[in-house]
Amino acid sequence: MLSIKNLHASVEDKEILKGINLEIKAGEVHAIMGPNGSGKSTLSQVLAGNEAFEVTSGEITLNGENLLDLETEERAREGIFLAFQYPVEIPGVSNLQFLRTAVNAMRGHRGESEMNAAEFMKLAKEVSKQVDLDPAFLKRGVNEGFSGGEKKRNEIMQALLLQPKLAILDETDSGLDIDALQVVSNGVNALRAEDRAILMVTHYQRLLNHIVPDYVHVLAGGKIVKSGGRELALELEERGYGWLGIKDEDTADSSAN
Amino acid sequence: MKPAPTLSSAFLHPVGHSLPEPLVALRKLRGTALVDMPLPTRKTENWKYSSKYLKLTDDMAIALPAEGKTGSSLAVPGYKVAFLNGVMIPEASEYPDLDGITIQSFDDLSDDEAADLADRLDSTLDNNAVQMARLNSARFEDGLLIRLSPDAVLDQPLFIVHEVTADASGSAFPRIYVDAGRNSQITLVEEYISSGSEPVMVNTVSEFTLADGANVTSIRLNMEGENVQHIGATGVRQQRSSRFESHSVGFGGPLRRHDLQVRLEGEGGECKLNGVVVTQGKQHYDNHTTIEHIAAHCNSEETYRNIAADQSHAIFNGRIHIHQDAQKSNADMNNKNLLLSNGAEIDTKPELEIYADDVKCAHGATIGQLDEASLFYLVSRGIARREANVLLTMAFINELVEQIPVAAVRETAQTRLNQFFDQTFEEA
Repeated sequence: MLSIKNLHASVEDKEILKGINLEIKAGEVHAIMGPNGSGKSTLSQVLAGNEAFEVTSGEITLNGENLLDLETEERAREGIFLAFQYPVEIPGVSNLQFLRTAVNAMRGHRGESEMNAAEFMKLAKEVSKQVDLDPAFLKRGVNEGFSGGEKKRNEIMQALLLQPKLAILDETDSGLDIDALQVVSNGVNALRAEDRAILMVTHYQRLLNHIVPDYVHVLAGGKIVKSGGRELALELEERGYGWLGIKDEDTADSSAN
Repeated sequence: MKPAPTLSSAFLHPVGHSLPEPLVALRKLRGTALVDMPLPTRKTENWKYSSKYLKLTDDMAIALPAEGKTGSSLAVPGYKVAFLNGVMIPEASEYPDLDGITIQSFDDLSDDEAADLADRLDSTLDNNAVQMARLNSARFEDGLLIRLSPDAVLDQPLFIVHEVTADASGSAFPRIYVDAGRNSQITLVEEYISSGSEPVMVNTVSEFTLADGANVTSIRLNMEGENVQHIGATGVRQQRSSRFESHSVGFGGPLRRHDLQVRLEGEGGECKLNGVVVTQGKQHYDNHTTIEHIAAHCNSEETYRNIAADQSHAIFNGRIHIHQDAQKSNADMNNKNLLLSNGAEIDTKPELEIYADDVKCAHGATIGQLDEASLFYLVSRGIARREANVLLTMAFINELVEQIPVAAVRETAQTRLNQFFDQTFEEA
């Protein structure tokens, strides 16, 4: 589904990603782990098409289509979804209006008719229950005044509504207490499907107890230095990153995370 | 040194429409005072950014004819008064027939009523600060007097449609006076529109006096064309425990100027002033507001938002003056500005003068662009970039648009805003 070959990316002329290779097939769940500043968040942002990051070489394809030729919104319509580490607050745009506009943009792209306000409200209420968000949040501004956990649940709610082909979860577990982690994990597990891939970017292995990955990769210094099964995550938990020969100076750029 | 330019004598000879004698006399008196009135220049502090847009050539001095067809973008059932080039058109108007509410054209006043009105006109505005209001007082051809007896309540909004026909150069001088009695209530909408494409000027004055406990909501919708200079003034005097609410939505033009002056003269008075301005192309819009806290225990709350696209220019000047005896005043002024292009300009100036020592006074002004992180977030959900721009721009003013208490006005404003979005944000 997703194929990344020799991907190099920079921000403000500083190279952060230094040759990433990664293949993800439909139905798989991959986890990318690594120390702070290893380039994890940069990889997420580059996949979603953030123009602040410049891809200097390499390629990314989604089901054979060159992703780098597409604008952010086109990538989203092709099925890329990024759950942000720090979702922005947008006062003045109601969550409901935002979600409906997004869902209808996707439906329009697929040649389906738009959902009217009543239809969408019904759907949104159902999905908000799935992530344990009070439907009252739908009327508030996008993420406005949401707690960290509520923002993360709102991200997962969006994934459930938009039904992406590839969901990228950027540090979705950060800042969550154990109950919220359970709710978010349930939401992510509900996303698991044969025709969908999930890429989790995380610093800690605790998320992986709830969402069990098929593959784990270690990112350091802008490259994947080790890949394995889920046991690799447990090993990292136990032994840290040191045994892989990763030192602090291998971090690509701490400001990028 | 070159002498300051003065108003052309062509403006000093009102012609046309008949009015009751006391009003004719007042007009003449004001006209005499205009002789040698210096015109604002860029050295005139309150016209600093706008004097260059002001064009008072002799062809502007001609009174536009009070005849022709009227139309309105507010096609609403209900109470309506239509003005064409500053003169009321009775056949296009529909008055409420309610006890305690009198709505009259200046033309229809008895000499006694006219004499009483002549005493009151100009009493709400500081004419030294609002020079151009003096021109209206010398030139108004007609006007609308609205009187509410104590406890009278107008059950629906009253729409006053001021249309100017610009088939030839000239000016119109619409005038309104609202006398709201004790505990009376009224919501009125002033809509300014135009037809035709010749350069014209509209010079308006609207005055409101609120007796104890009166509650007045004034909505101003400025929708005139690209050929219309609009120079308007609104004066408000509030007595004890009265409440005045103003919602203004304005779109730019070659010159748009509105002065709003509110005097809180009785304890417990409250005013809320909301304003939205949108400019594009080479348009201009200048809002000057003054809130005079004269009595103690009054609250004022002011929120203005400017959006400037292309090479347009928007100005906000908000003055709060808290007088020495106005203890326990509570004043809050906020102005936020959104620049949608590198070529646009916005100037904002909060002015606070505080002479009482026990007051709460807050003010804030910001100028910024659409937030990149917010845009990225929206487009990352598949929302088209144009749509994302529209959502974020609307978000900037939504709070104010939603507060406008008349649905027909919100809809008219939204339609015009959508045109602005179509012209400003390209399709991907």
